[in-house]
Amino acid sequence: MKVIHNKYTPLVVLTAVSMLLLNTSCFGDEPAHCEADIETVKLHVSNPESFFFQVTDSLQSIYSTDSIITFTVRSNADVSALAPEFTLSQGATVVPASGSTHDFSKGPVTYTVTSQDGKWQRRYRMLVVPTEVTVTDTLYFDFEQYNIDPTYQRFYVWQYTLPYESPTTTWATANDGFRISMGSAQAMDYPTTPLTDGYDGAAVCLTTRDTGPFGAMARKRLAAGNMYLGTFDIKIAMSDHLHATCFGIPFASRPEKFTGVYTYAPGPTVQDFNGNPIPNRTDSASIYAVFYRNHDAAGNKVCLYGDNVLSSPQIVAVANLGYVTPTTQWTPWDVKFEYREEVDEQELANWGYSLTIVFSSSAGGGDFIGAIGSRLCIDQVRLISTEEE
Amino acid sequence: MTTAQRILTITALLATLAMGANASVLDSAKVDVRLGYTVGGTIPTHMGNEIRGINSFDPGLNFAVSAEASLPLSKRWAIHSGLRYELGSMDVDSRVMNYDIEVVRGDESLNGIFMGNVRIKSSQRRISLPIQAEFKASNTCSLRGGLFMGWLASRKFWGWAYDGYLREGTPVGPKIALGTEPGDRGDFEFDKSMRHMQWGIDVGADWQFHRRWGVFAELTYSLSGLFKSNFHSVQTLRPMYGTLGIMYRIK
Repeated sequence: MKVIHNKYTPLVVLTAVSMLLLNTSCFGDEPAHCEADIETVKLHVSNPESFFFQVTDSLQSIYSTDSIITFTVRSNADVSALAPEFTLSQGATVVPASGSTHDFSKGPVTYTVTSQDGKWQRRYRMLVVPTEVTVTDTLYFDFEQYNIDPTYQRFYVWQYTLPYESPTTTWATANDGFRISMGSAQAMDYPTTPLTDGYDGAAVCLTTRDTGPFGAMARKRLAAGNMYLGTFDIKIAMSDHLHATCFGIPFASRPEKFTGVYTYAPGPTVQDFNGNPIPNRTDSASIYAVFYRNHDAAGNKVCLYGDNVLSSPQIVAVANLGYVTPTTQWTPWDVKFEYREEVDEQELANWGYSLTIVFSSSAGGGDFIGAIGSRLCIDQVRLISTEEE
Repeated sequence: MTTAQRILTITALLATLAMGANASVLDSAKVDVRLGYTVGGTIPTHMGNEIRGINSFDPGLNFAVSAEASLPLSKRWAIHSGLRYELGSMDVDSRVMNYDIEVVRGDESLNGIFMGNVRIKSSQRRISLPIQAEFKASNTCSLRGGLFMGWLASRKFWGWAYDGYLREGTPVGPKIALGTEPGDRGDFEFDKSMRHMQWGIDVGADWQFHRRWGVFAELTYSLSGLFKSNFHSVQTLRPMYGTLGIMYRIK
């Protein structure tokens, strides 16, 4: 007995040790999911052509940062009994239920999403807004309406008003992306900041900023100050930054002229992608507006991004200031839209075109080339449209 | 230093210590030198269900050398100690869910819940001193159990979160996708947050199959975390080293 014991004891011990080591490969049950998002919303209606401006409007993807969902529909659409269907984060539940019928003519309906683990909730307000397509003469952007962002209280955001109700009434900036890299920055250290004493009341200033140690880690060493009509998708700001900027809002007029006033002071040293100085080069700014078809030939929604906003075949007209001459005096610009193709009036009336206005303190900012400190200030921007010719 | 030099140095150290002890106790002491292959890793305090799978695991080629001694207290029992020099490294790529992570760079930090893949690489050189009770199960076999104190002579811990997304702050915070390539993913490096000192449980077994030669197995599990207590970038990780090797009795 003793002999056997001797012989096998080491084996038993080794087995025990191996089992302990192997224990690291045993996993518990999958944990309950903790997210509580509405990811997409679909509005099924029997007659989508007469309900939506574009049939593709029936499906919306919701940004993780959004808590207001807006459907802009034709002015004569009946919104008194609609049953939006949601896709939610895995395992999450929503009250009232997905597919339940509500009367959206009485105002927004609030949906509460609860995560699978029950610990997290998000509240969404959904609006379905019958909207008259109005042909605008002139859009005025004076940058007087700004405030600290309500979510993080870290940086400024600017509102604008369109003559019709629109889902986007906030200028898109990359300030939210900058917040991720420089969480400690003060509001006035962000790339896009207000200038209280502008040309006429307040103006807005765009400054190319150093993105600090996180920026270097992410190989995004600078953030050009920018501001544009469109949306910024924080989700892909890190992994696919050129597509994080979706340029354009639906626009039902034919833009003719783009005017405003600016000052521009390039920063002292242009740096390349790796942060190394590029000698004998001066930074340049961007000021342009683009009018484009927001659906392709196959009927899919189109958004212009950082890599094609000036080159896409969807573009109908561009008003580009081109070289922005450095100046410390408020200097006016007045640029005509150069049309590349005819505008289809029917499509125009169905919001089949989008418009973006883009300002950037470093034209190479999309490739992280520019001079830290380059500063473009703008005020009294006008977008003048014509009635049908 | 070569491995042989290390063994000699450590043996000499141990011998010096032993000289101070009572001569009659010393006469009955057993002294050996050991060389082992170590799988040195860090494991979460509880094998949390946040880790959904291991994509790859490379335990590395790590060695441990030591000089160890047993002082008999009775026929069955002895006290066992020694000095060990251990290399530990790990390269593990795992799939995670609801994984708490905080990345700090300079004065800036970013934290949240990550869903995706995490690659962790670590390497340490540890000098440790075990104190164990040894039970002689037979003439050739003994089992040991006790504690160890360790000091990290060098420490590295780095990696990246990739192919997934971070919910910033909380699970309902903004979603930030992380890609796969450098610049698109979230790199981290926590060298400076690692503790120098470790202590924990040490169990082992020896099988003396020859007058001089034997084999041993050792498992140390640190009860102190790998990181300093004010560090919250990743969940508490504890170093665990498993060693298999041969020993040569010199006394």
